[in-house]
Amino acid sequence: MEATIEKNNLPEQDVEKGTSLWADAYTRLKKNKLAMIGGIIVIAILFLCFILAPILSFFGFSANSQDLDKTFSGIGQNGYILGSDNLGRDLMMRVLEGGQISLLVAILATVLTVTIGIIYGGIAGYVGGRIGGFMMRIVDGLLAMPFLIIVILFREIIGGHVNETAHFLTSEWGWHKDTVDRFANLIPLTLAIAGFGWLTMGRIVRASAASLAKQEFVEAARSLGLSHRRILFRHMLPNMLGPVIIYATLTIPSFILYEATLSFIGLGIEPPNSSWGKLIKEGANFLESYPTVLVIPAILFSLTLFAFNFLGDGLRDALDPKASKD
Amino acid sequence: MLRNFIILTLASFAFVACETRSDVEIANEENILIMGNSAEPKGLDPHLVSGVLESNIIRALFEGLCVEHPSKNEESLPGAAKSWTHSPDYTQWTFSLNPDAKWSDGVPVTARDFAFAYKRLLSPDPNWPAKYAEMLYFLKNAEAYHKNKFGHILCGNDTNFPLPWDTLKEANFDGDPTIKLKSFNDKKFEDLKKSKREKLAKYLQDGETIDLSKITPKEVNFNDLSSPEKRIYFNAKGIDKLSEKELTFLKTQTDVIKWTDKVPENIRQIVLDRIIEHHKAKKPSLWDKAKVGVTIVDDFTLKLDLRGPVPFLHHITKHYTWFPVPKHVVLKYGEINTGLSSPWTKVGNIVSNGAFKLKKWRTNHILELDRNPHYWDNENVHLNGIRYLPVKNLFTETRMFGDGQLHITYKVPAELLKMAEEKYPKSLRKEDYVGVRYIRVNTAKSPFTDPKVRRAFALAIDQKALCDKVLMGGQQPASGIVPPFGDSQPAGVIQFDPEEAKKLLAESEFADPASRPEITLLTTDSDSSLREAVAYQAMWEKHLGIKVRILQREWSTYLSRQFSQDYDLAIAGWIGDFLDPTTFLEMWITDGGNNNTGWGSKQFEDLLKEAENTADPAARLQILAKAEKTILDDTPILPVYWYATNYLIRPEVKNWHPLLLNNHPFKFVKIEK
Repeated sequence: MEATIEKNNLPEQDVEKGTSLWADAYTRLKKNKLAMIGGIIVIAILFLCFILAPILSFFGFSANSQDLDKTFSGIGQNGYILGSDNLGRDLMMRVLEGGQISLLVAILATVLTVTIGIIYGGIAGYVGGRIGGFMMRIVDGLLAMPFLIIVILFREIIGGHVNETAHFLTSEWGWHKDTVDRFANLIPLTLAIAGFGWLTMGRIVRASAASLAKQEFVEAARSLGLSHRRILFRHMLPNMLGPVIIYATLTIPSFILYEATLSFIGLGIEPPNSSWGKLIKEGANFLESYPTVLVIPAILFSLTLFAFNFLGDGLRDALDPKASKD
Repeated sequence: MLRNFIILTLASFAFVACETRSDVEIANEENILIMGNSAEPKGLDPHLVSGVLESNIIRALFEGLCVEHPSKNEESLPGAAKSWTHSPDYTQWTFSLNPDAKWSDGVPVTARDFAFAYKRLLSPDPNWPAKYAEMLYFLKNAEAYHKNKFGHILCGNDTNFPLPWDTLKEANFDGDPTIKLKSFNDKKFEDLKKSKREKLAKYLQDGETIDLSKITPKEVNFNDLSSPEKRIYFNAKGIDKLSEKELTFLKTQTDVIKWTDKVPENIRQIVLDRIIEHHKAKKPSLWDKAKVGVTIVDDFTLKLDLRGPVPFLHHITKHYTWFPVPKHVVLKYGEINTGLSSPWTKVGNIVSNGAFKLKKWRTNHILELDRNPHYWDNENVHLNGIRYLPVKNLFTETRMFGDGQLHITYKVPAELLKMAEEKYPKSLRKEDYVGVRYIRVNTAKSPFTDPKVRRAFALAIDQKALCDKVLMGGQQPASGIVPPFGDSQPAGVIQFDPEEAKKLLAESEFADPASRPEITLLTTDSDSSLREAVAYQAMWEKHLGIKVRILQREWSTYLSRQFSQDYDLAIAGWIGDFLDPTTFLEMWITDGGNNNTGWGSKQFEDLLKEAENTADPAARLQILAKAEKTILDDTPILPVYWYATNYLIRPEVKNWHPLLLNNHPFKFVKIEK
């Protein structure tokens, strides 16, 4: 009885409170001012696009309704907070709804990328040997294919099915047609971007899985007779998450850029809906005559890119203990 | 290293020193005009191009019988022809050529060059890639000659021949293009794809079988073929391509080939007889047989017989398809119809009869013309040369103008109009242009099978708002198809009327939204047409409650989808080739090459025919207006606006007045220093 010491009897100040990897990372992240500002901006923009925009549209603001008598209003003119474009559409709503598309594409594509990448790369790294090698050669092969061609193929193959589904949802289930259409034609785009983006993720995951697979704790788990699935997803996965999360935050801005590129060359979402890339493309033509049409979406777009990049950099520093010891 | 650096620095100073004068100022000294010309020309052969930018160059190089007046749309000045007369009914025109007119190598321009040019453009050779032969169909028998209908050519000129051309043109002269003999390759009929079998089946009767392997090779002994096999073989080839032996056989059994029911047996025999005669005479030139209405009276007199009265022929001769080509040079570098890359138009080879001649042509960089010293009116030509710059990006072009690199731009994009108005108020031109922007409707697809729906869509477009607020270039709302010019008045039928549009839609078969399939609006991938498309989309949604989907496709897909009628609505435009309503109306005949709407009307075609045979200009215009109204009543196309051109021109360029066709005669243009 006397040999045991009750835990709560211990004087608190003497024990260093154990911190988890995440809490550690969070304290480190908090010290990085740039990353925190980036994070705040990201949250603010997400709030504007996904919470404020639907509220505004509930109150009658619309991104696609035209008023040809009020084209090219300046900031604050004619009741348009950020002015209007060449067809008299509310620029603020277009930028916010465009942001929904751009961000949704980027975030969804990232989620897909991470999921596919972890499963494929994890298996390839864990199994290793010939099969793993073969799996990675497939990735190499796909990487060699030109991005644009894959996107066009996806659009042609999936586009029709998506439209049918959208039609079904609106006519049979009575969903709101405009909204369904707006998000429906984002699906092929997302799939195309993810279909290309998971390849790099797969390689990163395979590399870390391959090194983990040879470590003692995996050996131990194996000798205990655990199933491969359990080893891979319960024991190895948490150890791979660091690089995955870092890479994911850094891919979001690059996917926003992909979306913008595709919209810029006309492969993006369908008119009259907007995305940041589309808005910038339309605005670029009016650079000499009406610069606001270009400047407003461009500012928001670059702000988001910066914010995500800073946040990603910060997360990399925070989650990688070797990179910064303090 | 140091030496290089010094040289580079000195060189850059030299550049700075030169830069004090702009390109335009230097060109003003040299009396040379610099024009933006949007893209690289596809070629300089007047018979092989169809674009506006090529026409800009060709009009400076060559000269037709008549020349545009620098400021008056309705007038024509003497060009290669000194004077002209016409018969009172406008069916026969005689042009006396200017004996002083010479090619740029000093050889005189004669009536032979014109006849040669028309013969060349109308060549019936299927490999001849001419784009615009229809422009010569005003000439008697030209259409039949160009389309190579033996029967008509051999018999149509015969006054005793009992059949009009219309009945014979249905006969299977050309062969059935859907049957490709080569693809049979030892296959059995049963092995063919279903679609192919269906194509062949229309020549077969119930229970007939054929051995395809027998009709595969090129030379078939048709005597070995069974009767159904013969039917496939003869129809696949067409009468034009049969050998003499086969024709002789056909005489004994004319029903092997497809004729229309209107062609009785005795006519078939006459047609076949004459074709065989033609073969036996070792195939003399079709041109002579066809008697196309071009006669060389003497070296300097050209007589043109027309298919009907054409009071405006002098306008048509100003179009580049009617220009002469130098017979002696074309034949020196190739055959009459050497189409590919037309060697006679290369730098060094080409000679021209206009005010200018080709000096140099650097692909994608510059095309430069020089004064033609042999030109008959050389002393009245002011410019020493013209430079055409293929600037594809219109935004770049406008900036180049601001930089003093161009005298005239090709086009100011709508986005820059406001800037141009503020920055170059004296240089910006907004001029009417005979062209119509319309939306083509596929009348074979629901809901557009119902004319009421089509009309509702037409009336729901707020044309005026579109012109004033979106296009902003001086375009006019189109109340009809034919833009107003001269004595031709606008139709005034289509006007924005949302109430009427709603009413029409409610009255139509497709009033119930559930009965309407999804509608797409086809357009090109350019920003300007997208902008229009989005505006239409919003208007239809607002006034009709119908949301269309916009389908952007790049140019060739956009065209091919219209040709194969695989669309619902398509934004399109048509620019007039000459100042007459027919240039806008003739394309809407049933199955016309540019119709593509599936629409056709007997009444409309009868009216066109009637106009074709009416000599009195005023009465003719009235008939054409009636014809236009028959189209508009049925609304297979939704007219939106009449074009305008917007471009920038420097104030020192004189004698450049607004012209409806935008075909400015370069010989009068002057640069005032």
